[in-house]
Amino acid sequence: MHTAAFTKKMLQNSLAGLKEKFFQVGNHGLAAMVLAVVFMVIHICVPGTALGSEIRIADSKGDWGYPNPFRHYPRGPGYVRMSWVFDTLVWKDKNGYIPALADTWSYDPNTKAFAFTLNPRAKWHDGRPLTAADVVFTIAYFKQHPYRWISTHALDRAEAVDDHTVVIYLAGPYAPFLSDIGGAMPVLPEHIWETVTDPFVFDDPSAFIGSGPYMFKDFNKTRGTYLFEAFPDYYQGVPKKERLVYVRSGKPMMSLITGQVDLANIRPDMAKPLREKELAVIENECGWNKKIMINHKKPPFDNPVFRRALAYAINRQEIIDKAHRGFATPASYGLLSIDHDMYNPDTPRYPWNPQKAENMIASFGWAKGPDGFFHKHGQVLEIELISSNLTVAGDRVADRDGEIIKKQLTDIGIRVHLRNQEQTTTDSRVKNWDFDLAISGHGGIAGDPRILSEMISPVYGAGSVNSARFDDSPELNRLLEAQMVEMDPARRKQIVFKIQELYADQMPAISLYYPDTMAAFNQDNGVTWFYTRGGISKGIPIPQNKMSLIR
Amino acid sequence: MRIWKKKWSTPVLVYLTAALLMAYASFRLPHLLPGDFVTAMYAGSDVTLNAEQEAELRAFYQNTDGFQGYLRNLATLDWGYSHAFMAPVSQLFLQALPWTLLLMGTAHVLSTLLGFVLGVEAAWRRGSLLEKAGVGIMTVLEGIPEICSGVLLLLVFALSFGWFPAAGAQMAYADHTFGQWLADVVHHLTLPLATLILAYLPGNFLLARAGMVMVLESWFVLTARAKGLPPVRVRYAHAARNALLPMVTRFGLRFAFMITGALVVETIFSYPGLGTLLFNAIAMRDLPLVQGIVLFSSIMVLVVNLGMEYVYHLLDPRVGHAS
Repeated sequence: MHTAAFTKKMLQNSLAGLKEKFFQVGNHGLAAMVLAVVFMVIHICVPGTALGSEIRIADSKGDWGYPNPFRHYPRGPGYVRMSWVFDTLVWKDKNGYIPALADTWSYDPNTKAFAFTLNPRAKWHDGRPLTAADVVFTIAYFKQHPYRWISTHALDRAEAVDDHTVVIYLAGPYAPFLSDIGGAMPVLPEHIWETVTDPFVFDDPSAFIGSGPYMFKDFNKTRGTYLFEAFPDYYQGVPKKERLVYVRSGKPMMSLITGQVDLANIRPDMAKPLREKELAVIENECGWNKKIMINHKKPPFDNPVFRRALAYAINRQEIIDKAHRGFATPASYGLLSIDHDMYNPDTPRYPWNPQKAENMIASFGWAKGPDGFFHKHGQVLEIELISSNLTVAGDRVADRDGEIIKKQLTDIGIRVHLRNQEQTTTDSRVKNWDFDLAISGHGGIAGDPRILSEMISPVYGAGSVNSARFDDSPELNRLLEAQMVEMDPARRKQIVFKIQELYADQMPAISLYYPDTMAAFNQDNGVTWFYTRGGISKGIPIPQNKMSLIR
Repeated sequence: MRIWKKKWSTPVLVYLTAALLMAYASFRLPHLLPGDFVTAMYAGSDVTLNAEQEAELRAFYQNTDGFQGYLRNLATLDWGYSHAFMAPVSQLFLQALPWTLLLMGTAHVLSTLLGFVLGVEAAWRRGSLLEKAGVGIMTVLEGIPEICSGVLLLLVFALSFGWFPAAGAQMAYADHTFGQWLADVVHHLTLPLATLILAYLPGNFLLARAGMVMVLESWFVLTARAKGLPPVRVRYAHAARNALLPMVTRFGLRFAFMITGALVVETIFSYPGLGTLLFNAIAMRDLPLVQGIVLFSSIMVLVVNLGMEYVYHLLDPRVGHAS
C-alpha cells in the first residue's frame, strides 16, 4: 500500500541520518544495539498495515454492544454491526427496497397480510437451511421478548404456507411495515433460540448464528474492536472481502489518511484535501437535523405566537455560514427532510425578520427597557439556552450554534443565559421539562414518516429525549395517528403533507439545519461504499450498507 | 509483638475505615449524576420508547440492593454487572487494567528515573549553560497540558509523517507472531507514552534538581568530596539519596491518580485503558461500571499511601525516629 511504503521510506531516511550522528559521536555499542532494535521494530510492524482481503472501518466510540438483536446498543452503529450477521426479509440500497431473505413480497388489503417468498438458497451460518418456520418463530419470539428496534404490536401472527412462503397478518393497518419490520427485523434461527428463555443473558457462540454475509468472530469490549469473517455459503454470493474489522479511533479521519482503516466519516471541509489524496468522498442526503427543543409547557413558550417569534428571530443562514463554514442546508420547519419523497414544499417558512419577531413579542405586553431588553411587570424577559455538541452519526463537534443563537436572541431584546452541559445531563433535563430552550438533534427524518409521530406526539415518543411530546393540537394528534395506519402511499402522503404544515404552524420545536454528512473511503480495494436512500434499515445515516461488500 | 501492634494497628484501622468510607462514596456518588442509563442509551432517534416501554426498562436496570447489598457482593468479589457491556465489571476492569499499567506505569517509571538523573546532573553542573537551558526548557514544558502536546504529537508524527498509528494499542486482529505483536504494541505505545513523559518529566526534573541543589551545599557532601570519592559516588550515593524522598512522594501520588491521569491521553489516542472505560461508562451512565472503577482507584490511593509509608522507612531511617 502506498502509505505503508511511504512511511517506511521516511522512517528509514530519518533513521539513517540519526544513525550517522550516533556513530560520529563514537563507536557506541549501545547505540548500535538500540538502532538495531528500532529497525527491527519498524521492519516488523510497518508492512502489517496493508492487507488486501479485509476491510477496516473506524469510528470514535468503538463499542456498540454484541452484534445480536438482544445485545447491541439501541443506536444506528449497533444495529449496523448486527446487520452483517443477521439478514432481514427485505433490505435497501441506493435506490430503495431490494430483496434480501425474501425474493418477492406482496400486500393483500383484504386479509391485511404481507406474503413473502423466501430465497431457497438462504442458510444459517451453521449450515442448516433457513425456512418460513424461522420467520414465524422470530415474530412469536419477539412478541414474547421485545426487540425495541421493531414494534410487534402491529403484528397479529405469521403462518408458514410452505418451507419458503410465509404470510404475516397485521393486527390492523400499519403503514411503516416494510420499513420497520420487513426491512428491520432480523430473522432468528428457531433451532437455536427455541430453548432460550432469557435472551439478554444468552451469550453462547450460537447466539450469533445468523443468515447474513458475515459471521461474528470477536468483540473486544474494552478496545472497541469487532472481527467478522465472510460466510462462504451466503445466498446472495460470496462476500467480497474475507474479513471485516471495526476499530475505535478518536480521530477516524486521521486513521483513514494514515492507511490504518478503509472507511470513516469525515468533516465536510476535509472533502477537497481527501480527494486530492485519491480517497473517494461520498455525501449523504439530508437525513439528520439540528433543532431547538422548546419547553412548550411553560410560559411564554406555551404560546405558538411566541414560538413563531423565536423562529423569525433566528437567522439560520448566519449559523450555517459562521459555525459551519457554509457546510449545511437550512432545514424544513416541517421536520421531514427536504430530500424525502413526502416532503411538503408548501410547509410554512419563517424567513429571518428580527423586526417582526420584536413586534410579535411586544404584542404580549412586553416593552423594551433602557437596557435594550424586553420588560413586563418589572421583570426582564430572560431565558436559558442549553447548547449541544451533538452531530450526525453519534459524533461530537465544538458548539458554536449556541453562541450565535444567543446573540441573535439578545439582538431582539431577550436576555439569554447560555449553558453547555454534558449530553446526558441535558437530555435528562429536557426529558423532565426542566429547561427553556435546548439545542438538540436527531436523524431518521429521511426514512419512514413514522418519525413524525415519534418526534412530535407523546403517545409515540414519551420515552424519547428528542421528541417534542406535543399534544396541544387535536388535529395534529389525529393526523399523526392516521398516517400510521394509512396503507395507501398516495393518501398517506396527503396526511404527511398536512402534518408538516400544522407542525410548522404550531412549532413545538424549531428545525435549524442539516449538516453536510460525508464519508471517505480507500478505493484501491474494489469496494464502493454508498449512503442508503432514507438511511439503512429504519433510517441510519451511515454508509456501511452490507450490499457494498456483496455486489 | 506489642511494638508491632502499637506501630501498625492504628494505621491499619484508619485505612480500613477510610476504605469503607470510600466504598460508600463510590457507591453513592455516581447515583448523583443527572440522567440514567435508559435516558443515555435511548437518546438517539432510532429506537423511540413509549412511556410504558421506558418504565419497564427503568425497572429492569433499577438497583434495589442498596449499600449493604453492594458491600455483601464486594465481599464475595462480585463487582457487579455492566449494563452496557452485559459483562461482569471485574472482567472489563481486568481487560483494561494491563493497558493502563503499561502506559501509565512505563510513563511514571521512565519520567521519574530520567527526571531524577537529569535533575541530579543539572544540579551538579549548577550555573552552566546546560543547566540553565535545561531549567528553561523544562519550565516551559511543565506549562504545556497533555491535551495540547498529545494533539500536536498526533498531528506531526501520525498525520504528517505517518510514522506512528493514530489510535489504539495494537493493530486489531492482525496475524502477528509474538515478536511482531510486541513490536506493534511498542509502535502504538510510542505517541501516548511520549505525551505522558513530556507531561511528567519536567516536574520530576525540577523537583530533583531543587532538592539536590540544597543537599549539595551540606557539609557531608563537602566531606565526601574532601575524602576524594569519585564524583559519581558523591552525587548518587551521598547526595542524591537525600533528595529522593520528595521524588518518592510525587511518584506515589501520581501513581495513585493513574486512572484520572490516563483519562485525557487515553481518550486522545483511543487507548483501551481504564480512563477510556471510565469515560465511556460515565457518558452511558453505566453505574455499576463507574462504581467499580471509582472504588478501585480510591482503594489504590490507600494502598499506595500505605506502601509509601513503608518505603519512607526504608529510604530514610529518620522518618521512623520522628514518629
